[in-house]
Amino acid sequence: MSKFRNLAVVAAVVMSAGIAPALAQDVGAGKKLFKKCVACHAVGPDARNKVGPQLNDLFGRSAGSIEKFKYSKAMKAAAEKGLVWTDDTVAELITKPRKFIKGTKMAFGGLKKEKDRNNIIAYLKTFSTGSETADAAKTKTDDQPEKAATTVTAAPSSRNLPIPQHGVFHLGRKALPEEVNAWDIDIRADGAGLPPGRGTVADGEPLFAENCASCHGDFGEGVDRWPVLAGGHDTLKEDRPVKTIGSYWPYLSTVFDYVRRAMPFGDARSLSDDDVYALTAYLLYVNDIVTDEEFELSRDNFSDIRLPNEANFTADTRKDEPHYAKNSEACMSDCKPGPVKVIMRARVLDVTPEGDDGEGAGPVD
Amino acid sequence: MNNRKKPETEISNPARRKLLAGGLAASGAAAALAIGGRQAAAAAPDPAITKIQDWNRYLGDGVDERPYGFPSEHEKEVVRRSVSWLTADPKSSVNFTPLHELDGIITPNGLCFERHHGGIADIDPAQHRLMINGMVDTPLVFTMEDLKRFPRENRVYFLECAANSGMEWRGAQLNGCQYTHGMVHNVMYTGVPLKHILNEAGIKSGGKWILPEGADASGMTRSIPLEKALDDCLVAFKMNGEALRPEQGYPVRLVVPGWEGNMWVKWLRRIEIGDQPWQMREETSKYTDLMEDGKARRFTWTMDVKSVITNPSPQAPITHGKGQTVVTGVAWSGHGKIKRVDVSIDGGRNWETARLDGPSLSKSLHRFYHDFNWDGSELLLQSRAIDEAGNIQPTKNELRAARGQNSIYHNNGIQTWHVKADGSAENVEVS
Ligand code: HEC
Ligand code: HEC
Repeated sequence: MSKFRNLAVVAAVVMSAGIAPALAQDVGAGKKLFKKCVACHAVGPDARNKVGPQLNDLFGRSAGSIEKFKYSKAMKAAAEKGLVWTDDTVAELITKPRKFIKGTKMAFGGLKKEKDRNNIIAYLKTFSTGSETADAAKTKTDDQPEKAATTVTAAPSSRNLPIPQHGVFHLGRKALPEEVNAWDIDIRADGAGLPPGRGTVADGEPLFAENCASCHGDFGEGVDRWPVLAGGHDTLKEDRPVKTIGSYWPYLSTVFDYVRRAMPFGDARSLSDDDVYALTAYLLYVNDIVTDEEFELSRDNFSDIRLPNEANFTADTRKDEPHYAKNSEACMSDCKPGPVKVIMRARVLDVTPEGDDGEGAGPVD
Repeated sequence: MNNRKKPETEISNPARRKLLAGGLAASGAAAALAIGGRQAAAAAPDPAITKIQDWNRYLGDGVDERPYGFPSEHEKEVVRRSVSWLTADPKSSVNFTPLHELDGIITPNGLCFERHHGGIADIDPAQHRLMINGMVDTPLVFTMEDLKRFPRENRVYFLECAANSGMEWRGAQLNGCQYTHGMVHNVMYTGVPLKHILNEAGIKSGGKWILPEGADASGMTRSIPLEKALDDCLVAFKMNGEALRPEQGYPVRLVVPGWEGNMWVKWLRRIEIGDQPWQMREETSKYTDLMEDGKARRFTWTMDVKSVITNPSPQAPITHGKGQTVVTGVAWSGHGKIKRVDVSIDGGRNWETARLDGPSLSKSLHRFYHDFNWDGSELLLQSRAIDEAGNIQPTKNELRAARGQNSIYHNNGIQTWHVKADGSAENVEVS
């Protein structure tokens, strides 16, 4: 194993020894905040380049120096001018990437709070060999006996309790209402499950800019290959249909449910119910389904809104397709009139792109 | 710890790709020349025999060198691979089973393709719970220990992603059955029939659907009819005898035999019972099949009858020259067992019935072989599966005629490999 193992240990050691609790907090908070970066950057033993370069050993390293990563011209130019990553330069970059390096392809809005920036930097340092934190971790852990292996997990609550009455096997226990509420957050097409709350298009716009636009674009148009959320009207019969909330999705409830359970990507469940109402209202607006910026979406008017493509979903009719319906015997000989010809080769239509900005043949999901 | 070096698993440039498609073939052909395709007579004694090999003289590793065993160093190319441009981010992406390197019907755990929507959840089983709620008499919570006290069963099933072969709708795209067909695997699951767990909570009358939910960062959810849930679904915690791999849903996943892989919710933490489907993102925005007329089919759950020849194929050319040759592949159907597989060497004009070998189980991969004497001429190899319900695997053109080219999912059309005189193979479309 590698130097990175120390990360978890640093926090633990520092806390238990009671020294420099500020540091422990920084790293822990930084780890949480790094979720904002994790969609694009990896750190740790198996870190690979993703949308952005891997960030191990960042401090002291020249900008744009990870081999095999295709940096923007802007980043390369900054590197040629001698940009090296230090506490200060990383802080400036993540304050507002496109202000610090005009033309960078790091599509990230920025971190407004200095505290947040410092915490992320503290966290990133634990993956930098030369930096203090990593060194501290090494010296600290070297003389700590290995404790982890002896921890005993608490006995499950069900042990030696009276056998419950429910069911056939009398296994499991009754779920408490608070527990069901904590997990049962699904919303159904008829609006069942919607929580109280409200939000306007105008409330949603800044929320979207801050939390969503780095991937989905300011108006849901999609950055690079991240999903497109708006537009695509009347494209479903075209060669390259654009399937969005406005052009394809049958139900608005799905938008609310999905954003609340899974977005922003890498920081799920971080939005309040009012935020989700506001973001859903904003997504209706960028899809031209509502036009008034003051439009307010709430549990009360939610079910009044229908998406335009709802009627175009049908049942599974594969069984009726001619090749299944005819139910004939499989032909064994002379099944085609003449010798068979090759009409298309994968190698001719070579869709494997160079670098990371190629066009795929079609979506995979 | 397993300190094997992580092999390069991404094909991200054409040079590498050509190496796979053409390079292998070239080196294979060279090898064939060197040893002599048929080894009719040896000119000089073979040093592999006459020389004493190191492994024959010196002691090998002792028993504790590999507390968790791993494949030979010589098999390091046998890995899952991804195509990096298919999706925006590896945390919501897919890699593919190397079908051309496998035989029999079981997929080894480390080679089962991966598809996840929010990365691999890293779950402490002691902190994992399964909740049953909704239209039930008693909403319940189970620990992993509770689940393991139910009567359990062992069953082998294929799992295929609905988008397997999805890139091929517009014509031949990817050179290799790993990429065209590798979103399938076949595993023996150990688990509890879902009906036992649901009955424990007591399903209220009027309950018609279930909503399984994952504990991962995508909170994966799908609506499944209660009838299917009570029929053959399993709540599984073992695959091929050992704990589920994290990427396959550790500590527990749903098994939905014969139905599209997305419904086999991994990291299963909750099942709700209701009287209507929920219309979640993965059954509206995704996993609906857009037809040519702009309408979309939904709830297309069953994976239809399908097969593919895995050897030879673009990543696995014929390297021995002409003569006795094994053509092999896999076939499967969500409607039950495979009754028959036919193989054509002339692009579907004439067919011969292949030999099925190994266990024939419902909704499981079947292995077929077509042993024949290759005369070294070009082949247009195809396989065609027929299931016990009488469904015949359609051609890609029949599917396109019925559905257009935009449906992404459920492409079970017949695959053609063009095998050339040098033994190399290519993904093609035929007339
Ligand atoms: C939407 C994707 C995305 C997000 C989110 C993102 N980055 Fe980046 N980042 C990139 C890309 C792309 C580059 C390369 C920029 C270029 O070439 O112009 C980059 C470059 C960098 C670099 C310079 C690395 C080098 O090798 O020169 C640092 C440091 C960095 N990012 C830190 C962060 C931190 C910290 C966060 C979170 C607060 C973050 N990034 C969020 C995409 C992203
Ligand atoms: C770091 C990049 C990123 C950020 C930030 C992000 N998303 Fe997403 N979003 C994704 C990815 C990736 C997917 C597809 C996930 C999958 O494949 O399951 C997605 C999917 C979606 C979808 C479904 C798209 C479809 O066609 O099915 C919606 C709606 C959505 N996001 C809304 C939002 C909202 C609202 C926010 C802000 C609160 C947000 N996203 C922030 C990356 C992001």
